[in-house]
Amino acid sequence: MGDWAQLAQSVILGLIFSYLLAKLISIVVTFKEDNLSLTRDTEPPQSEIKPEFDSRRVDSSTGGGEADSLVAEQGSSRGDSVGGDDSDEDDDWEGVESTELDEAFSAATLFVTTAASDRLSHKVPSDVQQKLYGLYKIATEGPCTAPQPSPLKMTARAKWQAWHKLGAMPPEEAMEKYIEIVTQLYPTWLDGGVKAGSQGGDDAASNSRGGTMGPVFSSLVYEEESENELKIDAIHTFAREGEVENLLKCIESGIPVNARDSEGRTPLHWAIDRGHLNIAKVLVDKNADVNAKDNEGQTPLHYAVVCDREAIAEFLVKQKANITAKDEDGNSPLDLCESDWPWIRDSAKQTD
Amino acid sequence: MAENNSPPGSVEEKADQIIEANPSVKDDTSLETIVRRFQDTMSEAKTHKFWETQPVGQFKDIGDTSLPEGPIEPATPLSEVKQEPYNLPSVYEWTTCDMNSDDMCSEVYNLLKNNYVEDDENMFRFNYSKEFLRWALRPPGYYQSWHIGVRAKTSKKLVAFISGVPARIRVRDEVVKMAEINFLCVHKKLRAKRLAPVMIKEVTRRVHLENIWQAAYTAGVILPTPITTCQYWHRSLNPKKLIDVGFSRLGARMTMSRTIKLYKLPDAPVTPGFRKMEPRDVPAVTRLLRNYLSQFGVATDFDENDVEHWLLPREDVVDSYLVESPETHDVTDFCSFYTLPSTILGNPNYTTLKAAYSYYNVATQTSFLQLMNDALIVSKQKGFDVFNALDVMHNESFLKELKFGPGDGQLHYYLYNYRLRSALKPAELGLVLL
Repeated sequence: MGDWAQLAQSVILGLIFSYLLAKLISIVVTFKEDNLSLTRDTEPPQSEIKPEFDSRRVDSSTGGGEADSLVAEQGSSRGDSVGGDDSDEDDDWEGVESTELDEAFSAATLFVTTAASDRLSHKVPSDVQQKLYGLYKIATEGPCTAPQPSPLKMTARAKWQAWHKLGAMPPEEAMEKYIEIVTQLYPTWLDGGVKAGSQGGDDAASNSRGGTMGPVFSSLVYEEESENELKIDAIHTFAREGEVENLLKCIESGIPVNARDSEGRTPLHWAIDRGHLNIAKVLVDKNADVNAKDNEGQTPLHYAVVCDREAIAEFLVKQKANITAKDEDGNSPLDLCESDWPWIRDSAKQTD
Repeated sequence: MAENNSPPGSVEEKADQIIEANPSVKDDTSLETIVRRFQDTMSEAKTHKFWETQPVGQFKDIGDTSLPEGPIEPATPLSEVKQEPYNLPSVYEWTTCDMNSDDMCSEVYNLLKNNYVEDDENMFRFNYSKEFLRWALRPPGYYQSWHIGVRAKTSKKLVAFISGVPARIRVRDEVVKMAEINFLCVHKKLRAKRLAPVMIKEVTRRVHLENIWQAAYTAGVILPTPITTCQYWHRSLNPKKLIDVGFSRLGARMTMSRTIKLYKLPDAPVTPGFRKMEPRDVPAVTRLLRNYLSQFGVATDFDENDVEHWLLPREDVVDSYLVESPETHDVTDFCSFYTLPSTILGNPNYTTLKAAYSYYNVATQTSFLQLMNDALIVSKQKGFDVFNALDVMHNESFLKELKFGPGDGQLHYYLYNYRLRSALKPAELGLVLL
């Protein structure tokens, strides 16, 4: 029973915690809303800096400053994938490319706006927030040219001042300072995996379909085929998957090397179907029948020819596989061969 | 500078939901997860926030039949259209891309080749050919000013592109001049710089300058508000390669041998009179198409000039075939597909996936199944690995029977500044954007 009480207690604590966290995040979100309006967009400077911190629920004015947050652009701050495949020969990216500093900076802003809220113990004091704000504005927009907000708007004014007093600080310096502060606040922020996430790991979905306007790259959905009545033994599976050792164990334990599945296929059929030349050699070495026919009358060589597996087909022909064995449709491997394999024709002539 | 004045309410709520749905966020190990989800939500909310300010059908209006069908905002006098380009961040500059120039065309080509659309797993990336881009961007009456590039000021390197081409699109009974917006691409290294929004605005401005106020576009994501949502379907032509490169999968219980047999096609088309379209066929094909497309709620409105441009065969760009009745010599049926290869990323054995995309098809005498099967046969002969189709127009009637399998991608179609009272079914759409 004690366990239950404990559980209940932790659930309740969890809920309280979540609530606090949500609260905090929402605060940070508004911070981000403000903080991340990353555009040197063109709209004439709008004089008002909204006091998001304290009045975030108040207005629902959608007009005006919308333009800068249009995010039809995918990837946002974590789409900065520089794919390994990106064979861009020229390195002429000076001043254009997101530099390491840029990236560290976006990682830091991302961290501040999202992950930081996770560390409840360190709520960022508002003066530090303002400092970050000012540095952020310098880094993303340059010196403050906006008129001073009215004295009634306390927070807006404080933020404006934080920005304004940095004067003409170079953006790089602002980024460095920003990162510095974040690092002071959360020495371990870089270890949190945020950076990896922001720099595009496996999900660096660049222009992929998570993205923006334009077409979509779609590929086939895998559908479990209806042929589920197929009965297949372990030895066939090992041959199919190319597992030599397990296959050998099967054979050593007395499983016949020409064991049939419910479609009449031997392990050699399966090995060839999946292109495992090494397995085919092992099986032949263990006296597998190179001319075994499945229920449709097809030999391993039929499979090799249909699947266009030249090395395997050549190996089978050398092992005296019959190139003229007819399947149920009356086709021999020679008939089905669409590839230009001189040795199979030569071999056909020799048989004639 | 434009402070973002938008209310954070929706974002907040979403963030709250995420947190509440995920009590485990306390856990440091899930930091990345929460950041990622959070980002997704943010970017989604912000995206929608942008579109909420645009003259597009809004989610909140869905089902509101009191709203009139047609333009959402009236055309404004040209003198009121902003005359100067929107400002870019200071290290970038606008450039107009002259696709007649080989150099320019190569620049656009290379930008797209290295940075355009990929699949979710980053295994494939579209690789539109130069000839394709020339074709797609220079239809009758095209505006060079709508081929918009962004360069880095110092290096002059092309870092982003967006384009529009003029088209007449019929919506119900109304033929509307529109821009088809496509090929929006921002260099991978600059994705964090939020160039796309200003590019969308800039292309919109330049479209307005030509006194055109509507546009059509597609996206893989849901924005406000799709006029229809289509499903991609894929017909394997070279199943072994498709399996080897990861485009499709071979079930454990299925053999490669049987799969190959399943998708095997005859060596030659079976319909008597099936042949390549020629210039002399333009009037007949136009009649056939106009008649066929008239039944769809939203459809392209092709005249002979359009047909000549969009549908006369061009090597490795677009293929068109028709059936000429051996007796009457009438053109009775028509099918077409365009060539869109993709780069296969990181496969040691293959570099290119060659895909044919179903374009416009009309059957009047031949069965639609047989006509499209012939299209498959000729595309197989031409060395395509896969034949793709959307479930638009009457395509659904042949997909399953001709062994197309469903794709994992959906394509949403949108109109800008034009409201439809109700969404269409994919089968009511007679428009294919490249």
